[in-house]
Amino acid sequence: MTARPAGSASLRWRVLLALSLAAMLPTVVVGALAIMRARDDVAREVNRGARAHIRALGAVLDGTLQAAWRTVELAAATWADAPDDPRETQLLLRRLKADVPIIRAVSILDLDGQVRSGDPVPAKLDVGSHSYGGYVGDVEDSGGRPVVHLVVQARSRTGELIGVFVAGLDLEFVGKLISETQLQPGVRVIVVDGTGAVVASSEDRAAPAAAPTHRRSLAGVDPAVDRALGSTVEGTLSASGWVSTYRNLSSYQSHRGVRWAILHQQPERDAYAVARETTRDTLVIGGAALAIALALGWFFATRLTRPLAALARHADAIAAGSIDDPPPVRGPGEIGLLGERIDEMARRIAERAALQAALARGDRLASVGVMSAQVAHEINNPLTTVLGYAMLLQEGKPPGHPDREALQLIASEAERMKSIVGGLLEYARAHRKGARDLAASAGPTPGSCDPAAVLRHVGALLEPQLRRTRSSLAIDVTATAPVAIEAHALQQVLVNLGQNAAQAMAEARIEGGTLAITARPAPGGIATLITVTDEGPGVPPPDRARVFDPFFTTKAAGVGTGLGLAVCKHLVTTAGGSIEVGDGPGGRGAEFRVMIPNAP
Amino acid sequence: MAAPVPSYASRQRVRVSIALVLSATGGACHRAAPPAIRFLHTFSHEETELFNQTMAERGIAVEASLVPFSRGRQVIGEILRAGTDCPDLIRIDATWLPELVADGLVLELPRPLAARDWSPEAAALAQLDGVSWAVPQAVDGLLVVRDIATPAPASASLADVVAAARAARTAARRYPLDLRIDGYWFVPWLRDEGGELAAPGGIAGDVAVRAMTGFAALVGDVAPPPPSPGLEELDEGRLWTEHKIAYWITGPWQFYQLGDRSRIAVSPLAHAPRGGQLLVVPRCAKHPDDGWQLADELTSLAVESRFASRFATPPTRLAALAGAPGLSRASYDALRGAAMLPRRPLTPLLFDDLNAALAAVVAGNASPDEAAAGVQRAWQRLTRRAPP
Repeated sequence: MTARPAGSASLRWRVLLALSLAAMLPTVVVGALAIMRARDDVAREVNRGARAHIRALGAVLDGTLQAAWRTVELAAATWADAPDDPRETQLLLRRLKADVPIIRAVSILDLDGQVRSGDPVPAKLDVGSHSYGGYVGDVEDSGGRPVVHLVVQARSRTGELIGVFVAGLDLEFVGKLISETQLQPGVRVIVVDGTGAVVASSEDRAAPAAAPTHRRSLAGVDPAVDRALGSTVEGTLSASGWVSTYRNLSSYQSHRGVRWAILHQQPERDAYAVARETTRDTLVIGGAALAIALALGWFFATRLTRPLAALARHADAIAAGSIDDPPPVRGPGEIGLLGERIDEMARRIAERAALQAALARGDRLASVGVMSAQVAHEINNPLTTVLGYAMLLQEGKPPGHPDREALQLIASEAERMKSIVGGLLEYARAHRKGARDLAASAGPTPGSCDPAAVLRHVGALLEPQLRRTRSSLAIDVTATAPVAIEAHALQQVLVNLGQNAAQAMAEARIEGGTLAITARPAPGGIATLITVTDEGPGVPPPDRARVFDPFFTTKAAGVGTGLGLAVCKHLVTTAGGSIEVGDGPGGRGAEFRVMIPNAP
Repeated sequence: MAAPVPSYASRQRVRVSIALVLSATGGACHRAAPPAIRFLHTFSHEETELFNQTMAERGIAVEASLVPFSRGRQVIGEILRAGTDCPDLIRIDATWLPELVADGLVLELPRPLAARDWSPEAAALAQLDGVSWAVPQAVDGLLVVRDIATPAPASASLADVVAAARAARTAARRYPLDLRIDGYWFVPWLRDEGGELAAPGGIAGDVAVRAMTGFAALVGDVAPPPPSPGLEELDEGRLWTEHKIAYWITGPWQFYQLGDRSRIAVSPLAHAPRGGQLLVVPRCAKHPDDGWQLADELTSLAVESRFASRFATPPTRLAALAGAPGLSRASYDALRGAAMLPRRPLTPLLFDDLNAALAAVVAGNASPDEAAAGVQRAWQRLTRRAPP
């Protein structure tokens, strides 16, 4: 299997995407909040400034009109006390004009609507007595100047209507008031009457010559004017590219409301210029932050995924069977740890494969062993016969007889064959007994023995063979607890190990070597550790895993059967113990370590 | 074999596509929207705000223009007589209807609207001589408002109301009865003496004098001195909030400013005038159907209920009345015994002179005799100029 670069590339893109999103989302959210906040703040400030402006303007306008109204009311009440004095009436009207500069014309009408004193009045002026004492009418054009008529009833002491005062108010002061106001570029201020007709506009001061002689109506033309005339309070409307703040003058006085409105209008592009700049700056900064985030994301994604890709290739190589390649990533961190884990995993996979192979081979060998035991059992008797007759025939021949050497050869070979057959039978017996012990171990009391007694007996058995090879035997027993294994099984194990050790030292022509057998409590006190140590050539590390396999031997052909250690391992493991081989003390010789659980 | 079910993603794509198409065509639809309905109204400050909010929420394009109530009859009359810049719908006081009908300035109410479940009182407001001319938008009139812990007057009679007020007088509540020095408030006293707000005979002689004497005598006795002109509503609201008055003769239009409505109880006032507000379509309207449509909308159950909930005013439709707040229903019940002012064109014109005369009597500038004579002369003059 080959590595898949596309996979790592995909991971890189995903990492890049994740990092980019992690950077982009806060940027977008914060940016959007900043933009909205800036716009809200600017809109609030624009609105506040505009409202303050029109409130002040409206207060002046309303105050001027109301002052005029009250003055005319006072004059009407004064006149009503002596309505028939022409001189006083003329004096009153002159003083009224003098005291109220915006009064351009003033008249007193009788109850039939005819002018009794003062200036002429428009023919269609409504002076009916159904206006709750008076009113301020809508704006009219008088010689190019905006004029509004103030109508005030004049009543006697008893409340009876005796005349009507009509004052023409010159609204030029509204235009002057607006023109004296410092306005930002692009801002316009408009005052309209109840019909939407323009009373005054800041645009008139820019082109006074073009000031309309006919008051144009903005009702139905400017949505802000419609909104202002349809409202009783102040408000803001963004429409047609303008931000309009309006105030209906009826909000100043609910009962005798002057039906006018004031509007402060500013092009949206000017009103929200600061907000637009903030938006632009936020977008630029956000874009830069995003670009940096992407670059950093690419860098870190590449840095992160490169070792991962190497690990992937390494894993593919392992899958392909190449487990000896060095790990591609080392060092601290999760990826280094991952590399180590992959190597560990590969090693365990190899061990498991070897174990599975060994198990397969063990099963196969076990089958062979069983079959061999059956064969051995069958040929053991004929071999005994052959051996007996060979020895009998040999004894019947005189010394020097030419057949005597051949018969001797037959007898020795038959003896060797019996030895092999005996080994096979022993192995088979061990297997059968192991199965029985395994079944018995399910019971309450397995077999046990005193390891010291067994070691003393084993020493006696091995003594003759060791003497022949001029080796010595050292037994050291410090363990006193009985061990959970039958005495004859432990004896067979130790005799096999001891014979092997003696043979190894003999084959290596080591004279004066020592075979040491020790028995001592294992750490924890639940088992006894028995060691059998020689001073022979030892067991090479590659063979250590196989020395317990049946028929594995390092002895010369015809010397060993390869079943002794297999029998040992079987007997020990059946008893719940373990056996392993290693180097002897100081790396010299071999040491077999047998761990047997203590009897309960 | 069943048809394959589209995946969620594909359905989502279809929805998004539809939304995009709709949004793309929305602009065209918006551009093709009909012109706004032109509406001239006399709503109060709070009513105007609720009206604008309601129209915006219901997506109805209305070009509304406010006319202060004090100038409403005059301005509306001028606009309709000029006929050049007519609105599609107008909200008027019920007392203005006879003049508009007499001058042929408004259209008759379409039959489907006339057949609605109007309360009898509302339907009567919109009719003249059995013909419906308007959509009734509000019913109002004078009644007695009191704190719910205050005992109700023994009866609706003026004497019992005044007696109850006297009984409620304490050191901290010197003037427990509040009323306005205004011709409209004077009507019950005039009617109690057998008169009526009708020119010229309704104000004549002893009837008018006794009525003025009784009415003016309340001020400084159980009723507080009048505030400055234009400040009546604020002053009355303040007195109520400060528990300075026990009985308050007023109308449902003032409930909005009273705060905790749960402490408000109402009871009828004998001889009280009953009126209301109407929606009429002028004959010169360019889009009369739009006008009726807006009137229909303004008297829909949803809108009537909303106004009733906000202002506790009695709705004009029985269905809306059934679901209205308790105070709205109680007001309706209290107003059922009230009587409309004479349905004549001259009626709204009578107040200017009456108000001034009452103020003069209360201020001590004129005797009731002088004031009544002056009003009679003024009304005769009005009658000569515009026959009733």
